[in-house]
Amino acid sequence: MTTHPANQQFDVIVVGAGPAGSAAALLVARAGLKVLLLERGEYPGAKNVSGAVFYGSAILNELIPNWWEQAPVERPVCRRDIAFMSPTTAVALDFRCAGAGFATAPYNGFTVLRPKFDRWLAAQAEAAGAFVLTSAVVDDVLRENGRIVGVRVRREQGEIYGKVVIACDGVNSFLAKKAGLQREFHPHELSLGVKEVLGLDPAIIQDRFHLTDNDGIAYEYLGAITEDVHGGAFLYTNRDSLSLGVIGQVSSLVERRKRPYELLERFKAHPAVAPLVRGGKLREYSAHLIPESGWAMKPKLYTDGMLVAGDAAGFCLAAGLYLEGMNYAMQSGLAAAETAILACQKGNFSARTLSVYQKNLKQRHVSTDFRAYRHAPSFVNGPRLQNLYPEMVAQGMEQIFRVDGAPKRKILPLAYRMVRQSSIKPGQLLRDVYQVARAYLW
Amino acid sequence: MRIAVCLKYVPDPSTIEVDPLTGMIDIGRVLYMMNPADESALELALRLRPPDGTVTVFSVGPIEADRLLQDALAAGADAALRVWDDALGSLKPIVTTTLLAAALRVKALPDLVLCGGHSVDRGSGTVPALLAEHLDWPVVTDVTQFEIQSGRLRARRRLARGARAESEVTLPAILGLETGLVHLRQASLPNLMRVKYTPIPLYGLEELGLSPQDLHFPAMTLHEVMPPRPRARMMFTPDVGGSVQERVAQIMSAGVAGKAGKILESGTPEQQADAIIAFLCQRGFLEQPT
Repeated sequence: MTTHPANQQFDVIVVGAGPAGSAAALLVARAGLKVLLLERGEYPGAKNVSGAVFYGSAILNELIPNWWEQAPVERPVCRRDIAFMSPTTAVALDFRCAGAGFATAPYNGFTVLRPKFDRWLAAQAEAAGAFVLTSAVVDDVLRENGRIVGVRVRREQGEIYGKVVIACDGVNSFLAKKAGLQREFHPHELSLGVKEVLGLDPAIIQDRFHLTDNDGIAYEYLGAITEDVHGGAFLYTNRDSLSLGVIGQVSSLVERRKRPYELLERFKAHPAVAPLVRGGKLREYSAHLIPESGWAMKPKLYTDGMLVAGDAAGFCLAAGLYLEGMNYAMQSGLAAAETAILACQKGNFSARTLSVYQKNLKQRHVSTDFRAYRHAPSFVNGPRLQNLYPEMVAQGMEQIFRVDGAPKRKILPLAYRMVRQSSIKPGQLLRDVYQVARAYLW
Repeated sequence: MRIAVCLKYVPDPSTIEVDPLTGMIDIGRVLYMMNPADESALELALRLRPPDGTVTVFSVGPIEADRLLQDALAAGADAALRVWDDALGSLKPIVTTTLLAAALRVKALPDLVLCGGHSVDRGSGTVPALLAEHLDWPVVTDVTQFEIQSGRLRARRRLARGARAESEVTLPAILGLETGLVHLRQASLPNLMRVKYTPIPLYGLEELGLSPQDLHFPAMTLHEVMPPRPRARMMFTPDVGGSVQERVAQIMSAGVAGKAGKILESGTPEQQADAIIAFLCQRGFLEQPT
């Protein structure tokens, strides 16, 4: 291999300082290797957006014991609500857990504000010895004899060399495409999330959401919220703010000619949501693409000299009951780091050596989870499960509870009538029941 | 030639947000940057630097200001120096310039000091002049262009109402430069990486040979704030003494005449300053010195 000036040559170059990239850089640095973490934003986290609940507490706890004591977390998530909505009603499934790792260490998940959290995580990598460079936009990969040997940063003399490049540059990964690992995405594989952070007094948050002390809640909404756009909505409690947003599949946003912010306004005005957000003062507005098709949009994960992790590899589990990304990002980043460390020990950076990445991903339950739920996204992101059935559930409950002098109907005839009235064919319904079962039950 | 550039660490105005809950600026969100006028001063210094010359950058600020000095090194400055003492709080221009003047002396006085004319935070625009007072050097402010020929500096100034002026001074001198004259060059990647963890020498009061008393200036106190009030209009009455034509012309023009400026050309600087103060007192802009 060609040699380059010492300060331009690294063992590992990690592109993107999100949860995947910072975790990878942290692990590689701890192994005593020379690692460069490149970030396009002014600081790590400046451009990162998600819901954001971080369900990877246990994963991070292995790296940094009792990490929540020093990290900028908002509230541990001890309650989760899944609500099915019609335009005027809502039926919710409410899960509460007061102890057993939800409200106590090591916790299950935390709401976080990404700019703060990601900045902290990158600082941990830096403290472990990683070289963190911000305001560094990566334009291309460098190749020698067909092997990827580094990246080009958009600056004068921007070539920088690394034995392994780990691409953690997010959804629509530029590097994965440049390396020929990822194809262009279809609009139906991506969702657009728009999000607001509303400032609200902590005391009001605790009262309004029935929370004790610093506990938090995560709401997810399905049904009529997004009108006929395939998608859902969320609302999370932070310490003194709420994160809420609407997620809509890009293709159906385009087809239905809906603007995401209109959906967000509708969501905030829904009778089940409006009392929760009342009095909130707008602090932030952001939007981001989400790779929602899981297994189907997974790129080739490695090539000679390069690995792909995090959203760049499509490791975002959006499958109805689960809305998880940061934990998989972190796990895949760690799996990539382990692979890179092994390759450095062996002194061999061929695709063959790096193929250990697949095994590492399995060990960290990333690829196994995504494989298990491979049928979920295409179906969950479809119109019937995200919009029609939740709405029918909400309407059905309305009819069950309604007392208006008319004869009471039992549930089955009621359901039968609702199905008959809707556009769903009985065969379709049976197929959907089978698909739900296949997606979640076995 | 040895050039010094003074850089100020300022909040980026585009990141200043008011927390809707408290009504206060959310300090946690503010990002800091190099003052834009100082940035163009640095670029001009780098362009002016002859092969055997040096550019040294100075900043008075907390540890976070190191990043800005590192950026200046990455862009091509030869040396950097930061002045700070934890006892320093919010800096008045007079304190900043006392510290800067001491720091310039510690590093052996340069031939030219470039400052940004105004900062985006405080914006008093007094630093170049106060620094000149400390060093007893000539100063030219509002500079848009300058050139140096055999020890003399010729500067073009932008004045109010589109007026331009040219001044010539001998070196060593201090310039206060306008904002946005040139863009600071983008540092190359190797330079950026080289300076990332470069330690910046820190000078405290002791190293500068100053004591806290040296930084004690009569406190400026705010007595009263009044809204600006338009000056009373005087009804124009034509002079009865002149000819008919003159009086008609006076009435037709409603007494409008160009404001007469006065240029003080004679006397020592002290006498000229006294004349200016007397003028301002007479017009009611200053209180009579007691």
